[in-house]
Amino acid sequence: MDRRKFVKQVSLWSAGIIMAPPLFNLTRELSGSPLIKPDIIVAKGDDYSNMVGQVVQSLGGIGGFVKKGDRVVIKPNIGWDRGVEQGANTHPLIVAGLAMLCLDAGASRVMIFDRTCNEARRCYNNSGIKAAVEQIKDKRLRLEYIDTRKFVRVKIDNGKVLNEWSFYKDALEADCYINVPVAKHHSLSRLSIGLKNVMGVLGDSRGSIHYQLGAKLADLNRVIKPAFTIVDATRVIIRNGPQGGDLSDVKTLHTIIGSVDPVAADAYATTLFGLAPDQIDATVAAYKTGLGQMELDKCNIQYLKA
Amino acid sequence: MKIKPYFKQLRRLSQIICMVIFLFLFRQTDYTGSDTIPYAVNILFRLDPLVLATLTLAKKMFITILWPAFIIIGLTFLFGRCFCSWVCPLGTLIDGSGHFIKSGKANVHLPYLKYVILIIVLMSSAFGVQVLGFVDPFSLLVRGMVFSIDPVFHYLVSLGFDSIYTMGPSVFSDYTEPLYEWLKTFVLPFKQSFFDLSMVSFLLLVFIFLLELVGKRFWCKNLCPLGGLLALISRLSVFKRRPVKSCKNCGLCETRCRMDAFDEGHGLKFEECTLCMDCLAFCPDQITHFKFGIPKNQTQMNMNRRQLVTAGLAGLALPALIQTSGMSKMTGDALIRPPGALPEIDFLASCVRCGECMKVCINHALQPLSFENGLEGLFTPKLVPRRGYCEFNCTLCTQVCPTGALEKLNVNQKHEVVMGKAYFEPARCLVYAQKKSCIVCEEHCPTHDKAIKFNEMITLDNDGNSIVLKQPYVKEELCIGCGICEYICPIQGSSGIRVVGRTSQEGARSGYA
Repeated sequence: MDRRKFVKQVSLWSAGIIMAPPLFNLTRELSGSPLIKPDIIVAKGDDYSNMVGQVVQSLGGIGGFVKKGDRVVIKPNIGWDRGVEQGANTHPLIVAGLAMLCLDAGASRVMIFDRTCNEARRCYNNSGIKAAVEQIKDKRLRLEYIDTRKFVRVKIDNGKVLNEWSFYKDALEADCYINVPVAKHHSLSRLSIGLKNVMGVLGDSRGSIHYQLGAKLADLNRVIKPAFTIVDATRVIIRNGPQGGDLSDVKTLHTIIGSVDPVAADAYATTLFGLAPDQIDATVAAYKTGLGQMELDKCNIQYLKA
Repeated sequence: MKIKPYFKQLRRLSQIICMVIFLFLFRQTDYTGSDTIPYAVNILFRLDPLVLATLTLAKKMFITILWPAFIIIGLTFLFGRCFCSWVCPLGTLIDGSGHFIKSGKANVHLPYLKYVILIIVLMSSAFGVQVLGFVDPFSLLVRGMVFSIDPVFHYLVSLGFDSIYTMGPSVFSDYTEPLYEWLKTFVLPFKQSFFDLSMVSFLLLVFIFLLELVGKRFWCKNLCPLGGLLALISRLSVFKRRPVKSCKNCGLCETRCRMDAFDEGHGLKFEECTLCMDCLAFCPDQITHFKFGIPKNQTQMNMNRRQLVTAGLAGLALPALIQTSGMSKMTGDALIRPPGALPEIDFLASCVRCGECMKVCINHALQPLSFENGLEGLFTPKLVPRRGYCEFNCTLCTQVCPTGALEKLNVNQKHEVVMGKAYFEPARCLVYAQKKSCIVCEEHCPTHDKAIKFNEMITLDNDGNSIVLKQPYVKEELCIGCGICEYICPIQGSSGIRVVGRTSQEGARSGYA
């Protein structure tokens, strides 16, 4: 290797380090402190694929989150054997839209999965997500069923009520983890949004989490930290959640919310149901442990019109 | 004349093709992304004239979906027992097992036994007791495969790949995982299944193959009731082997015939010949041939009047014994039948214990009954919610039932069918027994509106503190007994909410009278 080549390579390598945005890491660490106002992007309209792109653009563009060669995990809610219009699962257009953004940004692999409540194949099919993902013909994109061999036990440092739980390896190892919940009613926790969506990467018997649910979700969210959260509130279940089943329970809102701050995203989505963020235990617990900001007047809310 | 030897190859080709179709349909007996099963996966049972005969006798009516059986009946009138040699998957497997099991030459000939079994089966069904499932070749084969062979195959393959994945260096798993992925997509079932009675089903099937130690195609010659029925018809068939006797000085066809189709007088018993056409190939003088015509039956049936009467009496005694046994009156309300099940008595008369519904059950929630409801209930399906629940929008079991023991339901009808009712066990339920918040059952209850509801109660927790607790209860008229609540209940051991079945499913949500 000659000197010229050496200098060139060194500068290229260091450029990579310098240009990598430390910003969102910093934001996540410090969010929840009153010093930083997290952005909440709220888009309204009916072209959902397009809106996702605009929301991510307003969050700084996909390039800020996904680097060339990154392994990306997109984690929608595919929990139930329900159709698109029934609102129990994340809208397929939002999932597909995000997948395309990540692929365009040069991700080496984009994985989509969820540990479902109903039978996995029925959920993947009837949520419309399988068909939407298959339409994007790209070998880097994979909609995978949960492989039980991939659950690993993780110690939760400073957990308030949980010290340990099993998590899905691919979710832990992702270079970029994107949380894409659907906002909906839930009898026990009142609402199921982004913080609750972590349930889909958990192993073990998840039923026992429902005791002290809010505090446990806050602990679990200390392990899985999304690069950003996109909340699907295009249509929301307002009662009989979290699976609904009848269109009379579904309200169309045509809204997509994006934020780098997982607590702020949930906090804003809560207001769409006529509730205050502090009425949701998980949001409060996550805010208290410093995972993010739940006081909306301390957030920078931007509205986009499609 | 030169083409003659190729008939043997042709027959083998037919056997292989039928076997491949059988295995393909077996694998397709699963959810494949559509709410309807795209193939007639139950065709084997619908082709079975014995299923047709017993169902018609038991229900005193013709079951339309069983029309394909007439194809086999027609074929047998034309070509005799060709089904046994050219089509039957069990026969093919038995032939194939000849490579591994050296068949004995023991002089055991009990050809009349298959008629005895046949008569017992038919007599019983006339009295509304269905025992075909214990002796029908397809029931034995499919059940053995569903309950034991398939799970074991899946287990062993996965064990191999999983060992490499978890213990081997990644250099290996980089190669094995894509192969595993491919196998999972095209060959293996979607998930590991676990069945009750897997050992029993396995041994029953193995027994048939072990009988080969006594003689070739022992099961087919002596025991198979379907073979017996086809044998009766084939005495009237019009396409037969000639000459109708083995030649005096050679007799090779007589000694080498796998079906022992020649009697003591060297005459060919038409009802035993399965047209395997092997004798075309080895006849040294190329005398044997097959042609149309109605030669006179020169041989006697292998059954005398005494045996006929005995079989008839046994056929009378069996249903009477079963119906008067104490256990059959135990038909407790704890038994949950699959959706669309006929009222219990009709169901038992119609179910041929083929195992198709249990194979297709997407959550492996359907399990075979052991003896808890007597011999009568053996191998019939029951829902075991703690092992798996009935998927709300799934109707697959009702689609694959070949006899209508489970009525075919569309999704809307299925939503209304009441398989049972859920009841809380307050001594076990977290909320009632430990005063902990839970209502996972309410979350999962799929009906609209939810059959599990809750009251917010101010109560004391077990430390004496006043708390607000969501206490669940079942709104009985809304519950359909799918069992997801019992399945998902997070406590260890028996569930805090349990489903109790009913002897007759109501179509609509009329509630418990």
